[in-house]
Amino acid sequence: MALIAVAFLLLTVVMPMHWLTDFAVFCILVLSFDLLYGYMGRLSFGHVLYYGVGMYAASLALVHLAPNPFLAIGAGIFASAVLSSALGFIVVRTEGATFALVNLALNQIGFWLAMSGLQAYTRGEDGLSSSVRAIGFLDFYKVPVAFGFMLVCLLLVFGLLRMLTRSPFGILIRSIKENEERVKFLGYDTLRYKWLTFVIAATLAGFAGTLHALVKGFVAPGDMGPLENARVIFAVLIGGAGNLYGALVGGVVFETMINLLATNIPRWEMFLGIMLLVLVFWFRRGITGYIADLARKFSRSRGKPAERLP
Amino acid sequence: MFDTILYGLTIGAILYLFSIGLSITFGTMHIINFAHGMIYAIGVYLFISLLPLLWGSFPLSLVAAVAVMLPLAYLVERFVIRRLYGDGIDYAIIATYAILLIGTDLIKLVWGSGPKPVSDPIGIPIQIFGTTVQTYRVVVFLCAVAVFVALRVFFSRHVIGKIVVAALKDRDGVRSLGLDVNKYFSIVFVIGSGLAVMGGVLYAPITVAEPYMGFHVLLLAFAVVIVGGMGNLTGTFFSALGLGQVIALTGRFYPAGADTMVFVVMTLVLLKDPIAELLRRLVGKHGIGNFS
Repeated sequence: MALIAVAFLLLTVVMPMHWLTDFAVFCILVLSFDLLYGYMGRLSFGHVLYYGVGMYAASLALVHLAPNPFLAIGAGIFASAVLSSALGFIVVRTEGATFALVNLALNQIGFWLAMSGLQAYTRGEDGLSSSVRAIGFLDFYKVPVAFGFMLVCLLLVFGLLRMLTRSPFGILIRSIKENEERVKFLGYDTLRYKWLTFVIAATLAGFAGTLHALVKGFVAPGDMGPLENARVIFAVLIGGAGNLYGALVGGVVFETMINLLATNIPRWEMFLGIMLLVLVFWFRRGITGYIADLARKFSRSRGKPAERLP
Repeated sequence: MFDTILYGLTIGAILYLFSIGLSITFGTMHIINFAHGMIYAIGVYLFISLLPLLWGSFPLSLVAAVAVMLPLAYLVERFVIRRLYGDGIDYAIIATYAILLIGTDLIKLVWGSGPKPVSDPIGIPIQIFGTTVQTYRVVVFLCAVAVFVALRVFFSRHVIGKIVVAALKDRDGVRSLGLDVNKYFSIVFVIGSGLAVMGGVLYAPITVAEPYMGFHVLLLAFAVVIVGGMGNLTGTFFSALGLGQVIALTGRFYPAGADTMVFVVMTLVLLKDPIAELLRRLVGKHGIGNFS
């Protein structure tokens, strides 16, 4: 945990601080997706829907209720939790490609609602701007304060997920990934655990969405478009799925790459495509997996017994 | 009203031509093939470039564009999709998505990122049931029906078609007869890609060509394949025409919701079993009785 904070603070030396603020928000989203995909093995193509729900709920609360950041966060978490609990009941009963595509369809519907269906509330394509009142020293318009707040949020989410994935519950959802039938034979109602994991992941994504609304002060339907899911999936894979540190490394590396590529290389989509192919064919375990392999090889070559990975 | 229905049939025809390939890869390899959108988009742009070279002849340029795209489709199948067979859907989705990204950027590099219009090759309107309609749209629909009939004959009469139909049902069963299933899958994959190019080219005069056209049609085609049943070729035809009507009719009364209505239908179809199960449980729990 302290390591993550130090790493982020060190990165401020080489990168502008408002980049890192965005990275921290994105990392929370990637972490929430890693719980669903990396740990439970359910690939969703519509995870960004809940990010968007949190984002809009927070923004609407800021505009219509009060410009209080904590109220906005509460509203966003509540909205994404309620929606995911309802949809989760139905969605987790599907598997594989169906699960991926039904989430995609729901995301498309949500995107459309934000774009034109509920235009009266969301202002459609023009987007919704909001302002936040400062509470004491917590002033989101000051970049270092916003950065510090996002970093604390990231650490909180990371801590929560680490606790969760190391608990018996975490072992159970990893077992569901490996072989759901056998978990059922052991007498567990897997549907209940899948639902709970789905809701936790979606709510954390909604939390990331509220932070997005707070730090940008502006939300638009484009931020929850169905194709945004690709960014999250790639970030998880680059870092290494099923590993919380992997999600963090992937989130930071991917966002840095996009920021640098989009400004410096005109053909960044092609570059990204080629890199993804390399990733899928030769580099499947991601950066953290690769480092773990390297560390194991290194310790073995020095005659020590290979350490077991957590 | 009649022109709305005809528009729906035209859209349905295009969706059908595009979705065949997707449905086959879904059914045979259990792979969601995003690269299909790349073949479709590049095929259309190639057609636009070939048109002035081939004396402005629409059918000739269509055939030429399909002919050029077939080897490219084979390469995608041989070196990406076949290598990922059996690895689960996630890696295949990512690899084919990467190919779609590369293809989109290639289009921007070669042809620029602005939209390119294609003029209607027939242009003369005709009268049907007292309504004036574009002849071209009728021709597009008839093309799709012709392809449907041809594929029915191919899959029920020709030996390659029969092998593929058998392998859709039981891949291992066909393999144990000593047949190289992969070879036949390659053939139908390439056929499906050719039909996608054809669909794209036929659609171009109705809309415009733009680099992200592959993404857009893919989302709709997923809905077609899901509603029609993965790997069910007859189902794909009827679901494409049905969803074409959904698009056209919603578009007539509420234009902004036209595409989204397709996803509402898809969600309902996907969730019909889980919802039924949920209802059964709820009803059962409250002691009203078990219907199953």
